[in-house]
Amino acid sequence: MGLASPALMAVVAVVGAAALAAILWYWPKLAGRGVVPVVARIAALGVLQLSVLGLIFLIVNSSAEFYSSWSDLFGDQSGGGAIVAGQANAGQSPIGSRSLAPVTVLGSSAVAVPDRPSEAGGRLQTVRLYGELSGISAPGYVYLPPGYTARARAALPVTVVVSGELGDPASPYGAGVLAGAVASQVAAHRIAPMIVVMLPAQVGRDDEGCLNVPGGTQAALFFTQDLPQIIDSDYRAAPPATRRWAVVADAPGGYCALQLAMTTSQTFAAAAVPPGSYTAPPGPAGSGGSPQIRAEDDLSWLLKHQPMQPISVLFTGAGPGQPFLSEARPPMHAGQMGLAPGKWQLSGVFDWIGATLKPPAARS
Amino acid sequence: MGLTSGFFIWLMIAVALGSVAATVWLWPRFAGQRPAMMAARLGLIAASQLLVLAAVLAFVNGYFAFFGSWSALFGGGGSAPVSVSAAAAPSRPIVVTGSDLGPVPGGSALPEDPDGRLAAKPPHFHGKKAASPSKMAVAPGLDLKGGAVAAARKVGKILQITVTGEHTGIVSAANYVYLPPQYFQPAYAHVRFPVVLALTGYPNDTWSIVRWLDLPSTAANLVSRGKIGPAVYVMMNVSVALPRDTECTNVPEGPQAQTFLAQDVPQAVEQTFRVQTGRAGWSVLGYSTGGYCAAKLAMMDPYQFSSAVSLAGYYTALQDSTTGNLYGGSTAFRQENNLDWRLLHLPAPPVSVLVTSSLVGEHDLAGTLAFLHLIRAPMRGYSLLVKQGGHNYGTWVRQLPQSLEWLNQRLTPAASPAQPTPGPSP
Repeated sequence: MGLASPALMAVVAVVGAAALAAILWYWPKLAGRGVVPVVARIAALGVLQLSVLGLIFLIVNSSAEFYSSWSDLFGDQSGGGAIVAGQANAGQSPIGSRSLAPVTVLGSSAVAVPDRPSEAGGRLQTVRLYGELSGISAPGYVYLPPGYTARARAALPVTVVVSGELGDPASPYGAGVLAGAVASQVAAHRIAPMIVVMLPAQVGRDDEGCLNVPGGTQAALFFTQDLPQIIDSDYRAAPPATRRWAVVADAPGGYCALQLAMTTSQTFAAAAVPPGSYTAPPGPAGSGGSPQIRAEDDLSWLLKHQPMQPISVLFTGAGPGQPFLSEARPPMHAGQMGLAPGKWQLSGVFDWIGATLKPPAARS
Repeated sequence: MGLTSGFFIWLMIAVALGSVAATVWLWPRFAGQRPAMMAARLGLIAASQLLVLAAVLAFVNGYFAFFGSWSALFGGGGSAPVSVSAAAAPSRPIVVTGSDLGPVPGGSALPEDPDGRLAAKPPHFHGKKAASPSKMAVAPGLDLKGGAVAAARKVGKILQITVTGEHTGIVSAANYVYLPPQYFQPAYAHVRFPVVLALTGYPNDTWSIVRWLDLPSTAANLVSRGKIGPAVYVMMNVSVALPRDTECTNVPEGPQAQTFLAQDVPQAVEQTFRVQTGRAGWSVLGYSTGGYCAAKLAMMDPYQFSSAVSLAGYYTALQDSTTGNLYGGSTAFRQENNLDWRLLHLPAPPVSVLVTSSLVGEHDLAGTLAFLHLIRAPMRGYSLLVKQGGHNYGTWVRQLPQSLEWLNQRLTPAASPAQPTPGPSP
């Protein structure tokens, strides 16, 4: 009779019930004095006890299938198997089987810096970035500082800009203006050369604030895992773990940038965002109908309920920065810069990033 | 009085035997035929049965190391796992709470009972740290001296550690690290070792990985036979908030168990021990719930782990009375924690996963085969199926050597003295 068979369980249950009934019924017959009745009592209790424990074991074992057979139980199972590679699944990727390159460079232009030779400004690439894990393909720009190609092995710090106005040449958060601002600071030797990756504030149809929309666009996956991998593999950038990555945003991208720093401080060490309280993502929150997920989308909730993250936050411009300004404690730092959006503000932001992203600490 | 202390278990056994003796002793007084007598008999029998059952449970719990402490069983321990206190984070993400395994009988790195068998319970650690000038720094805050260095060079060392997550604030105590003998040998002094993160099932004391899965001694044996290269084994409890089953999930408004195991723990280990930092040097292995977690961590954090072994794991997103509300009531978020769903709806991650099961005796066999069938490039799936074996350590112990050899083929090896890395030769 198999260890896992219902028949065995039934037999043990019947034995137990019979033992209990017999004990209760024949109790007086075993109540005598002397060795024999005492031994009989102990034996009767023992039979009942063993059948109860046995039944419990059988029930638990059959529900979880811990031991499938007697030999399994007594440990004399042997015999292994061979490791077999799963057959290559010919099925198409559900999001289309395009195997896109992580970075597709669509164009490249020199960045001009006033009163400097043209090569002193670096280059601005127009790119499309493809995230292998998220399946997100996003248009963007990558600024490479002067001398990037000649630079031998130096790994450059990275600033990710999340902007709603990348394509607007008049906006301070347009790609050209951003590239010009960082190029000026680099050319003036105010900051060390850095790579600037510029991405739109929305990288997917239902992306609001670079969150993983449950069941929808996995924007957080794109920004926190794909993007560091893409930049790390295709550019000579500092590895994300060195924490020489910063994130900067205009108003449409502000929630995204601060959210990334608050939840992914192992990559993003600094964030410069417009003032605000950031209690909810922009647009309709895609929290999957969960009040708990909605609560976590409130960045001030995170500030109160998770450990202080090792990040520096700069609010760019005048406006409310509570509760971050008042509640940040080391290792988190929060500050504010009163300059209005524009060229001077951008210069200040890049100077601040240059000072905040320190060279990598020696590994212990 | 500890849940697994010998005193408590013996006390329970004594009480149980006492109740049986009392029943036998008092038997004649309840020999009448009145209903009250009948009820009294029933009460006596029930009391002794329950006390014996309790003693058996206490013994089995201690033997198999399901729950290591009262707080693990009932919760509410002083060290609430998700204690986001205002206190500054400790300066070290990993604190070594025990390293003194006593004598090493028979040249084993593992604590043994006097009869030579592996100890059923972790040795009693005093948490002392060598403070005086030493011969060898093993990890920040832990040095080895004299004879201990010689012993470690022969048999390696197991440390008991507490890990504090920098990002999540989760504190997980009574976990273990196995450092292979090579870690202490001069020839390897500048070599970084690959890492296997090993996860328990639920509910388990982390010591189970040493005592029952036999991981360190299996690895040591395979290394000495030249079957695999040396690696560092980080053994962690799969639950970060016992008695809750956290399923390596970032629980909305709850413990961020996935971030802790996939990011905080690797970061802490990389900062503390001489280990590799790239994904090619990291893999994750687990059994049962730990198997689900191993596959999940590799699939969801493929830039941390390049390979995973799931011994008798499952691949869907569990929720039951031990897990509580893991997904914030969101069906979509639950789906994202379902590995089958991920393979059907998201791009496949670039990782290799070995899944094991049994053709007879493992009720997750069908789920395992279904998961395997869903795997698409660039993910690679492998299976190890034994003919028969239930959901128990006996089965997993049989599957472990092949699993470790499989992992070894996928991990960047610690360069051996025979193939010196560029630089000062040993």
